[in-house]
Amino acid sequence: MALSEEAVLKSELRWAAIVAVIVGIILIAILYAAIAMHVNPPSNAEYIDPKTLHLSAEFTESNLGTRVDPDGQVVARVIATQFEFVPNCFVLPADRDVTIRLTSPDVIHGILVTGTNVNTMIMPGWVSQVHTVFHKTGDLLMPCHEFCGLGHSQMMATVRVVPPQDFHPGPDGRVSCDNRG
Amino acid sequence: MAEPSYPAGPHDYSSGKAELEQLEAAMDETPRGAIVVSLIAVGLLMIGWLGLYFLVFIPRGSVG
Repeated sequence: MALSEEAVLKSELRWAAIVAVIVGIILIAILYAAIAMHVNPPSNAEYIDPKTLHLSAEFTESNLGTRVDPDGQVVARVIATQFEFVPNCFVLPADRDVTIRLTSPDVIHGILVTGTNVNTMIMPGWVSQVHTVFHKTGDLLMPCHEFCGLGHSQMMATVRVVPPQDFHPGPDGRVSCDNRG
Repeated sequence: MAEPSYPAGPHDYSSGKAELEQLEAAMDETPRGAIVVSLIAVGLLMIGWLGLYFLVFIPRGSVG
């Protein structure tokens, strides 16, 4: 008969080899992305009391939005709350390392920035942090992608990516969608 | 009404040597076809995965 035990074994070994090659290709691709392209899952374990965000040094209302730190690092701080982002629009420069720090005072939210790999969850009690470099300029939509309640579908913000020469921090290092010019 | 006739089972080779040879030929061909279909399916999946990886994921830039 054609399907002898030997033939079945040979067929299974052949498939095992094909699967091993496929897994190897995928593993190399993932390692290439992680090591050469610096594409990694955002993993920041940093606790913050969700009940006193408005009293914290970092996430008070006046400290939200984009700010260039004294060391030159561009950091955007955003609070995700039912059902809006504060601020609703923030400016970041293209072709430069930027950091987005987010937290929530109420329930679990999540963000993605369209057309980029920026994608993270926002948990009350934790600070989510994403490092990235934007290459395309323009207004990018940043919707909440974790169902957070009845107003979830209305919860979105704008990331305004501007060319480096149009990124003008004020004397306090701040940049907002209103005064970026 | 006459009862329809059924073969006694898949291993009923009583009908003759010619049918046994046909069965062997079919058993020889069928796995080959299944392997070709599987290779096409797995190949398309890999092309799709690599296409998304190189044309969508990598151009979207670094993140971490």
